[in-house]
Amino acid sequence: MARTLAFKARLARGPDFVLDAEAVIPLEGVTAIAGQSGSGKTTLLRALAGLDQQKGDAVRVDFAGQAWDDAERHTPPEERRVGFVFQDPSLFPHLSVEQNLRYGARRRQIASLDAIVDALDLKSLLPRATEGLSGGEARRVALARALASDPAVLFLDEPLSGMDWDRKGEVLPYLARAVSEAQVPALYVTHAADEIAMLADRVLTMDAGQVVGWAPPPIRMSARVEGIGPNGMLIALDGATEGKGRFSVPIRARVGEAIGLGVPADSLMVSATHPGNSSAAMVVPADILDGANDGSGIRVSVFGQEVHLPMLDIGLTGSRVWLSILRALPRPEPRDSQADANHD
Amino acid sequence: MNLWPVISLTLQLAAITTVILMTLALPLAWWLATTQSRVRPVIEAITALPLVLPPTVLGFYLLILMSPQSALGSFWVRMRGESLTFSFTGLVIASLFYSLPFAVQPLQTALMAVPQATVDAARTLGASARDAFFSISLPLARRGFLTAAVLTFAHTIGEFGVVLMVGGNIPGKTRVISIEIFTAVETLDYGTAHVLSAGLLIFSFGVLTLVYALNRKGGARLG
Repeated sequence: MARTLAFKARLARGPDFVLDAEAVIPLEGVTAIAGQSGSGKTTLLRALAGLDQQKGDAVRVDFAGQAWDDAERHTPPEERRVGFVFQDPSLFPHLSVEQNLRYGARRRQIASLDAIVDALDLKSLLPRATEGLSGGEARRVALARALASDPAVLFLDEPLSGMDWDRKGEVLPYLARAVSEAQVPALYVTHAADEIAMLADRVLTMDAGQVVGWAPPPIRMSARVEGIGPNGMLIALDGATEGKGRFSVPIRARVGEAIGLGVPADSLMVSATHPGNSSAAMVVPADILDGANDGSGIRVSVFGQEVHLPMLDIGLTGSRVWLSILRALPRPEPRDSQADANHD
Repeated sequence: MNLWPVISLTLQLAAITTVILMTLALPLAWWLATTQSRVRPVIEAITALPLVLPPTVLGFYLLILMSPQSALGSFWVRMRGESLTFSFTGLVIASLFYSLPFAVQPLQTALMAVPQATVDAARTLGASARDAFFSISLPLARRGFLTAAVLTFAHTIGEFGVVLMVGGNIPGKTRVISIEIFTAVETLDYGTAHVLSAGLLIFSFGVLTLVYALNRKGGARLG
């Protein structure tokens, strides 16, 4: 059985806000937790990490079979092995970058930081004080510090909030690479649709302290960089034929490089006939393979590439439809997971 | 005249008081800085009382508390064979109360200024609450700690009313600088009064300058 984080969380925050959330989250890949600010995303992460103690007999947090919280028990945060990256990097200002990284590593008896230092490209920063770091550097250090503590799960609380697009672009690839190389599942709190499209495997939405449910996950495709485009790089979907399936995305990449694409769920339209001239960035033909058995969507083939669309089975198996992609973003995924997405 | 016994006794009293009080103030200040308990304002008020009470009132109650007729006083007499009042130990106990706010308040303020997220980060990285206190909160509050220690030391050196009430004026045992100044003036020995007063004035000025310098640096760091 797949490992899950199952919880029933209850926590009052002031007179007006009560967190009352329940869900079962697969411990695999990146689960985005989305919602308006004030919907309780951060409160949920803090409760699950044991930083704020929950109240009530019904409270339950079960991490892959370990009871973290229930009616009798409250596992302290230091015993949960949650790598928490806060909105503010919250580095320890009296320690150097290296000492920051070693803080958790030492307490969890991790000897070598080399892999993490390499993955996040921190070697030159190690002797520095935390004070002079740029925003992007500080966030990389905060992420590395969490990873160095050998976490069983990562909680990322808007780790890119307040950064402009360029700075985000600097940190995102590291984030994606680190998360997938460390093989650590992550809960990623954000309300940025772009970050969801770029990183998330599934999306849990919250509102007013409660879990609303699973939102359509971002649609993923793979592509190859063909050249410089008007808006970054010109990319072509894998298998695209001459003159079709090409558009430009805001990304810095080498020509010939394979990249993943994430299409935000609300940036895709499906139509039975070619929509003609439209404002979509790209219109591509797709053949419906079948509706997924679990009712979570349908599988289509785009230039031979299998793509999962988060919509109900519309009963057109075998027929041709047209996908209007309004916007796609690069998913900074490592090579091997693209190969997986590509294999048929 | 030889002023050294007076000065040495005063310094001893201040040093012992500072060491004991900082040890006691640390957990108290931490509790005050982190608790959400409803009794916190009450404890804070009790801690601050020595700031507003006339030293004679504080001294009077301490005298009652430590007198051989009281539980504490009679226990002390049975254990040590001497009265707690009018002894050096009695002075130390009185100083602990008298200087309490000067130890607790700067520490509490400094500990409250340590961002919660920084401590939370330490907790998620495997540090117990106590570990996080010693490895994160205390180092970040070190200026507050230093300020508290310096103020406690200086304030204890300058105490007068409480000492007079509890300790009296016994040479070598309870006669500290401030009492000696009082005695000198009473006996028209202005030379001694001048030397000791000027000494305390310069010392106090130096201490306050040091405290403000510490806090200025602290402010710059936090900002």
